[in-house]
Amino acid sequence: MTPQTAQVGDTLPPVTFGPITRTTLALYAGASGDHNPIHIDTDFAAKAGLDDVFAHGMLSMAQLGRLATDWAGIDRLRGLSSRFTAITPVGATVTCEGRIAERLEKEGEPLLRVVLTATIDDGTQTLRGEALISAA
Amino acid sequence: MGIFDRSSEGYESPPIEITVERGAVAFFAETIGETNPIHSDVDAARAAGHPDVMAPATYPVVLDMAAAKAGARKGIAPLLERINADMRVLLHGTETYDYHGPIFAGETVEIISRVKGFTDAKGGALEIAHLEMEVRHPDRGTLSVARRDLIHRLGGGK
Repeated sequence: MTPQTAQVGDTLPPVTFGPITRTTLALYAGASGDHNPIHIDTDFAAKAGLDDVFAHGMLSMAQLGRLATDWAGIDRLRGLSSRFTAITPVGATVTCEGRIAERLEKEGEPLLRVVLTATIDDGTQTLRGEALISAA
Repeated sequence: MGIFDRSSEGYESPPIEITVERGAVAFFAETIGETNPIHSDVDAARAAGHPDVMAPATYPVVLDMAAAKAGARKGIAPLLERINADMRVLLHGTETYDYHGPIFAGETVEIISRVKGFTDAKGGALEIAHLEMEVRHPDRGTLSVARRDLIHRLGGGK
């Protein structure tokens, strides 16, 4: 299946990432420049009333990006969006899935709207998003 | 009452120049588990017809963070400070990217940040800041626009 041949309802090859360790979060903080201590400093998390640090939402959104670009190629990616619906705890493995939801046309270009989800081991959906992919 | 400084609505930062660095792109790509070598290996990128390694899809967030820090060094308060974000109760609600062109290592781009506005939700238990970040290339124009909702959990309201 390619973007040209994909039909509504078709599913993309899933992407898994994890388990997300504290090291993963430290590396992501450094690599992304997001130094929010809520993701890397357990003392800060405790002061904020949380049991532990939790993963950057953008680390999981990066996996939605991989899902879309592994399949279609980054040259075809026109848009990527995500809603962060639950936090991702330390130790979680994230599974990302995508399904073709619609074929449309925008400014003369055929596009696929792909619904994306990220789910962790216990079944909690952590992200719900969309990719817009050129089908030209 | 909310925590966000709502008088920041309508703010637009001056363009802040950021040079996209090859090592930084590769480090980010490897950290997120990206396996396509066009994002981490310059030879693979060139073999695919690109001038240098290409930024992965969510890399605009990295440029945004870099711009916030570069701006702060020049005395330009970062967006998170301008809106008075409180990290203890801050949640990332949504993130949206529109892509208009690829971003390559070696390029110097401009980052412009905007405070679009604020809304309240769940009877005042949540307040939401709507932000926008544009990545602009001096010759190729707008490369990407990111829109972001940040949420304060206020705990009150009910």
